[in-house]
Amino acid sequence: MTAARLLPKLYLLLAILGLLGLPFVVTDSYSRHLLILAFIFAVVASNWDLSLGYGGIFNFAHLAFFSIGVYGYGILAKTLGFSPWLAIPLAGLLSAIAALIVAIPVLRLSGVYIILVTFAFSQLVLQLVVSQSDITGGMMGMVGLPPLSLPGYNVVRDGKFAYYYGAVILLLASTVYLRVLVKQPFGVSVMALRDNAEYAISRGVSLARQRTLTLVASAVFTGIAGGYYGAYLRVAAPDAFGLGLMTLLLSMLLLGGTATVYGPIIAAVLLTFLSEAMVDFGAWRHLVIAAIMIAVLIFYPRGLWEALTRLHLWLVRRLDGR
Amino acid sequence: MTLEALFYILVSAAVLGSLYAIMAIGLALVWTTLGIFNFAHGAFIGLGAYLAWSLADPSQLGLGLLAGIALALPILVLVGIASERVAVRPFLGRDNLVLVTVITTLAVASIIENAILLTWGSRAKQLEPLVEGTVSAWGIGVSAHEVAVILIVPFILAAVWAFLQKTRTGTALRAVAQNQNAARLMSIPVTRIFALSFALATVLAGLAGIFLGAVKFMSPSMGADPLVKALIVVIFGGIGSLSGPIRAAYIVGLMEAVLTFSVGIYWTQASLFLVMIAVLMVRPTGLFGKRG
Repeated sequence: MTAARLLPKLYLLLAILGLLGLPFVVTDSYSRHLLILAFIFAVVASNWDLSLGYGGIFNFAHLAFFSIGVYGYGILAKTLGFSPWLAIPLAGLLSAIAALIVAIPVLRLSGVYIILVTFAFSQLVLQLVVSQSDITGGMMGMVGLPPLSLPGYNVVRDGKFAYYYGAVILLLASTVYLRVLVKQPFGVSVMALRDNAEYAISRGVSLARQRTLTLVASAVFTGIAGGYYGAYLRVAAPDAFGLGLMTLLLSMLLLGGTATVYGPIIAAVLLTFLSEAMVDFGAWRHLVIAAIMIAVLIFYPRGLWEALTRLHLWLVRRLDGR
Repeated sequence: MTLEALFYILVSAAVLGSLYAIMAIGLALVWTTLGIFNFAHGAFIGLGAYLAWSLADPSQLGLGLLAGIALALPILVLVGIASERVAVRPFLGRDNLVLVTVITTLAVASIIENAILLTWGSRAKQLEPLVEGTVSAWGIGVSAHEVAVILIVPFILAAVWAFLQKTRTGTALRAVAQNQNAARLMSIPVTRIFALSFALATVLAGLAGIFLGAVKFMSPSMGADPLVKALIVVIFGGIGSLSGPIRAAYIVGLMEAVLTFSVGIYWTQASLFLVMIAVLMVRPTGLFGKRG
């Protein structure tokens, strides 16, 4: 009993201490770069979990929310000259507005048709971005976006120290936000709609309102992560809409385990490093990762989080001496 | 608009419509029987083109195009069956089947595309056309290959239709599409029908790739763009039926040809997607789908 209650707190403490202390162990800027990317993808994947995993809404426009954040940051900070510190939250706002627009057709549809319409929406946004080359740079994208700025501190030449902690703060804030949201009556009603829509509606849950709120809530931190990505890489390119990135994020979500929040975060870090470790293998890299993805989904239907949960339960039994 | 321009628009519409029809019907076939969306369809398009090229091109085995196509088809059948075995069968009966198969078929697409890259390299290749030369009528020339595609595709579609309507196996396939449990009770081997429909879809995708490989340069990811188009067609036509996507394919082909001529290539794609979303909002099951 005690171990079951204490261990999760211990894991969280270790995870937070690990995140904060890691840059003192990992000193080369390339590994830090990978960690920053992994944390940004972790935010995007775990927020996708809100609509896809908890809400059961087959929302394939999530990557478009991210890209809108990236391009929103580019246009606000570079073209319009906003401060990066203002442009990043505004990027989150833009994504939330985009989610509100996507919600309109989504509410009228169900099942696989939601996949189709959200996929069409993200392609539509991509085509608009590519065709408006005066504003977005077309296929070439936007380059030289302004970096973050701190008074009296050079953010660009510190071995990515500041960007690392920025990404950690972003990840922690997003995770707390998601965990609080899914524990609230709001989260419970969203899951009820996923598991038995008719019953939930008959108990007074509004499908239209909760679905719209789910999409908007999942877009906020995704857009902010997009803005941060833009400020970090200082590029906004149409690749951000690509099938490749979508596959990567979706595999983080499914490998980690849907409706868990923590699963996708762990999978994001693992996959980013696995993919990077195999970078010398060329085309074999994608081939092997795809095969691993299928294998994990066959043997761990609920993802890596399920495997970790089993490990935890085993540990609890051992510590309680039962 | 001159008469000549109109003629070119119509020819282009017919070519695009034919290619979209043959791509979309495979996608719709898998959707109606298995209830999943096959994102590997685009990779099968590329695979068909590369297989035919390897068998037919004089620099390779040099068997000629017809023999190349004839030999590529059985290989495609095997690939289709293997893909179903790996990406769909292990997940049948799971409550999140639709979602899991999105990722597993994307994974199969990635495996095939990268296998193409490893086998054939990234240099652009081109298949020889079905028929050499150009056909001219009233002083306007059109490539003979495009005319051949326009003429052959209706026969392929008719063959698929005849298979589904007139043979016992085709009837069994439609029975599985309508009601899996009832079909199983009638002792129809449902999982074998799944493999069959996957194999058939793979062959149709491969044929589309072979037709496409002579028009455009081939690359390992050549199927990505057609896949998106086939998706549009299927949204437009509704995925419940097979005739819907065929009609929709020719309509989308016509729309694309007219839009390319009137608003230019950049706005065409965006307009198409906008029309699709509008269609889905007004008729949530597609233009020709049953009202649900």
